[in-house]
Amino acid sequence: MSAVGIRIESISKRFAHRVKGEVYAVRDVNLTVQPAELLTLLGPSGCGKTTTLRMIAGFEQPDAGRVFIGEQDVTGLMANRRNIGFVFQNYALFPHLSVFENVAYGLRVQRQSEQEIAQAVGDVLALVGLQGYDRQFPNQLSGGEQQRVALARAIVIRPRVLLFDEPLSNLDAKLRVHMRGELRELQQRLHITAVYVTHDQEEAMAISDRIAVMHQGQIVQEGTAEDLYRRPDSEFVAQFIGRTNLLSGRVQSAGLGGIELEVAGRHLRLSGDAARVTGGQIVRLVVRPEVIELRPADSGDGIPGTIASRTFLGEKAEYQVRVGADLLQVTSYNPVQRGLFSVGQPVTLHFPAEGIQLLPGGPA
Amino acid sequence: MTSIAAARTEGWRRTLRDPALFATVITFLDGGQITLGNLVAILRDGNHRQAFWNSLLLAALVGLCGTGLGFLYAFAAVRANLSRAWITALDAASLLPLVSPPFTSAIAMIFSFGPRGLITYHLLGIKGFTVYGLHSTLFSETLTYFPIAYLTLKPILAAIDPNVEDMAFSLGSSRWRVFRTVTLPLTVPGLANAFLLLFAASLADFATPLILAGNSFPVLPTQAYLQITGLFDLKGGAVLSFVLLVPALVVYLLQRYWVSRKYYVTITGKVGALTTIKSLAPWARAPLLSACLLLAGVILYFYVLLFYASVVVALGANHAWTWRHYQVIFTEGLKAIRDTLAIAGAGMPLGGLYGILLGYLVAKKIFPGRQAMEIVSMINYSLPGTIVGIAYLIAFNDPPIVLTGTGLIIVACYVFRYSPTGIRATVALLQQIDPSIEEASQGLGAGSGTTFRRITLPLILPAFFAGLGVVFIRSMTAISATIFLVSINWTLITVRILENMTELSLGPAAAFSILVVVIVFVVIAAISGLLRRFRTPGALEVTSILGG
Ligand SMILES: Nc1ncnc2c1ncn2[C@@H]1O[C@H](COP(=O)(O)OP(=O)(O)OP(=O)(O)O)[C@@H](O)[C@H]1O
Ligand SMILES: [Mg+2]
Repeated sequence: MSAVGIRIESISKRFAHRVKGEVYAVRDVNLTVQPAELLTLLGPSGCGKTTTLRMIAGFEQPDAGRVFIGEQDVTGLMANRRNIGFVFQNYALFPHLSVFENVAYGLRVQRQSEQEIAQAVGDVLALVGLQGYDRQFPNQLSGGEQQRVALARAIVIRPRVLLFDEPLSNLDAKLRVHMRGELRELQQRLHITAVYVTHDQEEAMAISDRIAVMHQGQIVQEGTAEDLYRRPDSEFVAQFIGRTNLLSGRVQSAGLGGIELEVAGRHLRLSGDAARVTGGQIVRLVVRPEVIELRPADSGDGIPGTIASRTFLGEKAEYQVRVGADLLQVTSYNPVQRGLFSVGQPVTLHFPAEGIQLLPGGPA
Repeated sequence: MTSIAAARTEGWRRTLRDPALFATVITFLDGGQITLGNLVAILRDGNHRQAFWNSLLLAALVGLCGTGLGFLYAFAAVRANLSRAWITALDAASLLPLVSPPFTSAIAMIFSFGPRGLITYHLLGIKGFTVYGLHSTLFSETLTYFPIAYLTLKPILAAIDPNVEDMAFSLGSSRWRVFRTVTLPLTVPGLANAFLLLFAASLADFATPLILAGNSFPVLPTQAYLQITGLFDLKGGAVLSFVLLVPALVVYLLQRYWVSRKYYVTITGKVGALTTIKSLAPWARAPLLSACLLLAGVILYFYVLLFYASVVVALGANHAWTWRHYQVIFTEGLKAIRDTLAIAGAGMPLGGLYGILLGYLVAKKIFPGRQAMEIVSMINYSLPGTIVGIAYLIAFNDPPIVLTGTGLIIVACYVFRYSPTGIRATVALLQQIDPSIEEASQGLGAGSGTTFRRITLPLILPAFFAGLGVVFIRSMTAISATIFLVSINWTLITVRILENMTELSLGPAAAFSILVVVIVFVVIAAISGLLRRFRTPGALEVTSILGG
């Protein structure tokens, strides 16, 4: 079976709110998921990720907009007619059914023969590494095992798309990292389209082909992990994906030779896309901690600062550097060889010409 | 004006739906005129006023003593590190009063302390001891109803995580201080609830006072009963029991709006590291256990005595062996046995179904009058049985629905009156089922019918059995409501026992009581067996089928 895509056309969903009357949980969202792609909806708590996912699944009806799975418009269709696989945050295993019966449930609904069911369930349990667990009951399983049963139950019916709502958030940190690798591998092996919801940016970056960042019911940016990290187009995305310093600057001139900026009273030259800014404009600079280079004080024309704190982590050292009134985060890799700075030591910060994203606006 | 008229018709419609409310209206109606005259007349009568205060006094004392005993018992069961065998023994002893007719212990009291009592007359040789009065009524009712307090308090005490107490210990508290500052405050809502339940139970009980209170201590339910059955004054009886409605309603409202809100979101969660419970000082263990054993001993003694009375010619006079009393109940009394079993048998499945049906509707918020529905069914439950009985009598005496004298009216009374256990169990189970479980089923392609049949129904099955069990037990043992509903065509064992008591044929009364206890025990065992068979390891649990 070849994978099918998902298309969402300007869907909205309002909920009644006790104080504010009606509020939008999802507002005018457009999204396309390519066949066999794993797309992650990423965003802070309450931004509408689950609601969006549930509308794709059919558990929630949009107030406006349409949902397509493949070429089929499924907007008015109940969840049980959509042929989807949904993995819930709390797994939602049927507590009164054994592992076997949990997984077999969807096949029984399809009225498959006992023989087919036994075969399919056996295969899928082997696939998720749960051979021999058929007769166990959900309350006799560990969190990770329950997770696998939920996954097996979702994929055994050969759904057209797989939908995950924070499936790993109930697991401990180590297992989470392990399971996300397994999930990703399985998704690629089955060659199935998947939408994955999480609020953990690291998980999103590790697992996804593409990420859609949501904020207050809307998708604010879509792209690969690298796109989002290197070219965030809002402060929100810049801060949500990875760690970042946000500095204010004034464009002095923008031309073929690059962009001349004044930042913290110092002159800075970037080799960016000059077309996006004009002279005199106030801009915000997205400066990732690892692009800043620290050098001993009075070495060249960098921005002077003082080390305010230092966290030594072996392969890297994380500093907070006081520059004027601001505290900048700076990460230095391989610090043992490159030399450590100590707290209180005056340093200069050197910004590279590349790797700094400019965002318009912001306070001067 | 029209809106008032509309409101009035609506009010009537609602009233008519519930016989119990209907009765309260009837008491105020005199030839179509709304009047308080009835009530005033009652309150003028000094005798009745006395009976009213007596009822309250008795109920309050039963509430206090029963809650105290129940707490001791529950504390011993869950806080004294008893072995399983001990706990089972305690449970069994407390189960006995719950599954027998409510006046069983009253009969045993007469056997022990009556004019020819085994203990007072034969053992101690006291001639002038009067068993009748407040003291023995209180004693008998306390013994009968304390298991309700026990069952109410046990889960609450058990839910207190020992780690919480450990925590208090680690902060340097003494045992007594931990008890006073941690254990007790967490239990206070449960204590209040138990007190109210016992208060209501005592307020509704007319059989025990009928046997034990005597002339010196009249109480209202008994007065109402005598008014109706002795003087054939239905309206007088209704008015008398209407007076009872006031304290009953107060209790109900307290429970619903005050106690239920005081429950601390039970201190559940995962019980952390297993720790031995240290709430009880070693020196306190022995007296506590002795007290509980004494209590269990008294109960056991009562039932053994009852059994003995059923197999001797005349307890206290002629102790020769005989099966005569059993012959009597299986010949003369056979009709009562048959009728009772038929009614209980019919009520059982109906009560179970009604319970899960209503529970489902209530929990799923399917229809708008949910709150009203819930309240009406709970009122049916918390009203004193005498009122409910009279209400059914009045409501179904005239067209359009004439049920008086049929078995159906008794079945209906039991089903509606005792289904709240099933309803609450269903609601509780449904609330434990996360909505995502039903969605998961839907996502796997199941329609709502399949989801209900394959997922929801199996999960609420325990509530079905709980509801069914309670309706059966009550159908076998309750008397206060149905005594007004029996007829020549349909009678009940409990009514026969009471008749036997008043005719002083104590042997058959004892034999009947033993029969009831045996039947109920067998059926409960069968139901628990079924429950265990249907229970898969992951299924949800109904905590107790008999608790408050
Ligand atoms: N059934 C509902 N009724 C009312 N409001 C709702 C309902 N479901 C969601 N909301 C509201 O819609 C908004 C988005 O909710 P949603 O569950 O989609 O957030 P989320 O992004 O999944 O958050 P989280 O990461 O915390 O799960 C929230 O403000 C929430 O309060
Ligand atoms: Mg969510």
